[in-house]
Amino acid sequence: MKAFQQNLAKLEGADTQVLGVSMDSPFSNFAFAQQTGVTFPILGDWGGPVTSQYGLTKKFDIQGVAMETARRATFLIDKSGKIIHEQVDDEAVDPTKTVEACQRQKLKN
Amino acid sequence: MKQEWKHLVWLGLLNLVLVPSLSSVSQAQQKSQDKEKKEPAPMKLKVGDVAPDFTLLAFDGKDLKKVSLSDYKGKKNVVLAFFVFAFTGG
Repeated sequence: MKAFQQNLAKLEGADTQVLGVSMDSPFSNFAFAQQTGVTFPILGDWGGPVTSQYGLTKKFDIQGVAMETARRATFLIDKSGKIIHEQVDDEAVDPTKTVEACQRQKLKN
Repeated sequence: MKQEWKHLVWLGLLNLVLVPSLSSVSQAQQKSQDKEKKEPAPMKLKVGDVAPDFTLLAFDGKDLKKVSLSDYKGKKNVVLAFFVFAFTGG
């Protein structure tokens, strides 16, 4: 999330709203945002309905206890609502490619 | 004596048939394991797809606010960044 914050000026300059999403409560996300200095909204996908709608639910177990969590992923969605770029798993840690895709999009419009 | 010799021949033939097929099975298993490790699971949503709309809550320190993807339609691009959990790295 910090990496998006560092690129926020570039993204907003390219007419883009950043929204974080995690399967935590909105309150935990707010505390996380404050601690990390994130100023964009982090949405609480409590129970994961949207994470699963986007096909990002990942099942695994720790010491035999079944858990469900989200895959890390970044989607760039254009003004018409279409996905124009995506990054997933480890690749999604660094948002540089998403930022570049955003800037290309700005040139197109 | 002749009988024993016959047995040996049969065993040898059996080896020729079974051993390569067993090893190719294990090779195939190894390959599929490698594949799982190297290639990430395919994504449900692909570039060009319409992003499904949703409404979620965000807390701004004072109020809980509803945020929908459709709020930005026709106005802004949206970067939707899914991450594992709050207070994890990244």
